[in-house]
Amino acid sequence: MRKLSFGKAINEALDQEMERDEKVFVLGEDVAKMGGDFGITRGLWKKYGDKRVKDTPLSEAAILGIANGAAMAGLRPVAEIMFADFITEGYDQLVNNSAKIHFMFNGTVTCPLVVRTANGAGFHAAYHHSQTPEAWFLNVPGLYIVAPSTPYEAKGLLIASIRDDNPVIFLEHKLLYEMEGEVPEEPYMVELGKARVRKEGKDATLIASQRMVYLALEAAEELSKEDIQVEVIDLRTLFPLDKDAIFDSVAKTGRVVLVNEAPKTGNYVNEISQTINEEMFEFLKAPIKRVTGLDAPTAFAPKLEEYYLPHKEDIIREVKEIVEY
Amino acid sequence: MNLSKETLKELYYNMVLIRHFEEVVDEYAKKGYIPGFVHLSTGQEACQAGVMKALKETDYKFPDHRSHGVCLLAGTPKERVLAEIFGKKTGISGGRGGSMHIIDIKCRNMGFNAIQGANLVTCLGTAFASQYNNTQDVTAVFFGDGTMGRGEVYEGMNIAAKWKLPILYVLVNNRYAISTRVEDVHSYPENLSDRAQGYCIPNEVIDGNDVIAVYEAASKAVKRAREGEGPTVLELLTYRWQGMFSGDPAAYRPKEEVEIWKEERCPIKRLREKLVQDKTFTTEELDKLNKESLEEIQGMLKYALESPEPEPEEAIKHVYVGREVQGR
Repeated sequence: MRKLSFGKAINEALDQEMERDEKVFVLGEDVAKMGGDFGITRGLWKKYGDKRVKDTPLSEAAILGIANGAAMAGLRPVAEIMFADFITEGYDQLVNNSAKIHFMFNGTVTCPLVVRTANGAGFHAAYHHSQTPEAWFLNVPGLYIVAPSTPYEAKGLLIASIRDDNPVIFLEHKLLYEMEGEVPEEPYMVELGKARVRKEGKDATLIASQRMVYLALEAAEELSKEDIQVEVIDLRTLFPLDKDAIFDSVAKTGRVVLVNEAPKTGNYVNEISQTINEEMFEFLKAPIKRVTGLDAPTAFAPKLEEYYLPHKEDIIREVKEIVEY
Repeated sequence: MNLSKETLKELYYNMVLIRHFEEVVDEYAKKGYIPGFVHLSTGQEACQAGVMKALKETDYKFPDHRSHGVCLLAGTPKERVLAEIFGKKTGISGGRGGSMHIIDIKCRNMGFNAIQGANLVTCLGTAFASQYNNTQDVTAVFFGDGTMGRGEVYEGMNIAAKWKLPILYVLVNNRYAISTRVEDVHSYPENLSDRAQGYCIPNEVIDGNDVIAVYEAASKAVKRAREGEGPTVLELLTYRWQGMFSGDPAAYRPKEEVEIWKEERCPIKRLREKLVQDKTFTTEELDKLNKESLEEIQGMLKYALESPEPEPEEAIKHVYVGREVQGR
């Protein structure tokens, strides 16, 4: 099958959806003529023009405000927030508006918008260009959070997100943009709310998303040499959570390590831990462990950033600990 | 502008209706029938009646927190507006929003966002959609002097001007943000709305208690927006008779100041005197309108009082499209 980079797969999804549905439009900083700071919207402005590909001034509040208003009026905006860290400037529009519009209107209006944003550390860009923000949104009912890890899923999940009537925060890990993978040329959807078992195993379950999936797979590979068979689940959609996939695996392995690159305290994965605790306690053979970023801002210097981020070795250590528990 | 007798009658009736409506809301809030707190627009009727008369049902309206009158005149069955304030099942949003979030897509009342300033960027989106779909629908956004402290106002104005969005900014300057006087915390040239000039948006300062002036200025600005000339800011100078909310004694305002606005600048009294003086209507005819409005309010009140409360499980409906939330 044809191979495409993660970034190009997203670009193709945008192009195909804009072609299919006149209501879909793209807005954000530098998305038109330049084609986006990461080049993800390249070519769209040339093809669809000023009307449907809008460069905005630096105002995340306005970008997300326009997206909300336009979505309420029946359009399907895809907003780009250049770096996920900047979302705080439009945070109010997402948590107090997008998330509540369907509810406020008593079900008579939907808010079908997608907010694409580049997240994640490892880019040597310090604390305002490196964060992973899903936990910031998890406590706000009304929002979907999607976080693909492969080019195939990036395209299929983005198309599904654009066609979904709920507001979706679509996280793109910036270290994955160049990754190549097989991507069908025709439009297709990957169902929202469904995780994927990336590797089967019986001794422990690793649950991860985005770039952390690869760390988990590498750790699993190494552990298999020591005859520890680890199952790796790629969440793909962070909310709504695919409980079935998680519970099936927990029932099989009874041991869980959760992996996420945001700081440990208040981390998104804590919710998964508590969900397993409440509903699958009798299957657990050991405490649920976490491998996360440290409770500190992401520092700039490569050595400092490396120290902050989770590593394969951390995962291996935690898995061994619970296997021996 | 030479206003028809019919238009004048409507402006008068709508102001009286808002006045009576707010009196009933105040009374039933104090009696404990209305949960939470309500912001009353008594004294500001001309701002609401005047602007709403200049808009069509297909125009998008973003009311502010002191906008019962806007919601009442938007086209929603009026008894369902009051029922919403009472938190009843028959309220326009089934009781999920209350006084601050009366919302109705059918007449494009997009609702108040209780985060002051938020609507100042959301309104760009509906105006953009009108432009995108090539319709002539205008977006009117109401906000107070207090909101002028929020960055969204200016982030929004910049884009509205640059994209020539069909927006009518209605700055209802009632001089106080809760207890804080506008001049105590804001720096501005002669008028608060002069700031819009920095974004090349024309502004006009209007006596907000003169309903005819409000209507005329709003009509002109709406026409301009419909014709693709872009946004206008109308600054309406007015005063709220009550405190910030029903029950707020508003001790922060000098008594004499309140008296002047009530006695000498009442928007209803003012139009009434003009209409009688011009011999457009007799006192008896106007009294009859007052009585009619009271009767209309009584009908709404009966409906609101007799309506059932919502089923508790409604609290978790419509959080997501196509996904249920787990209940108790």
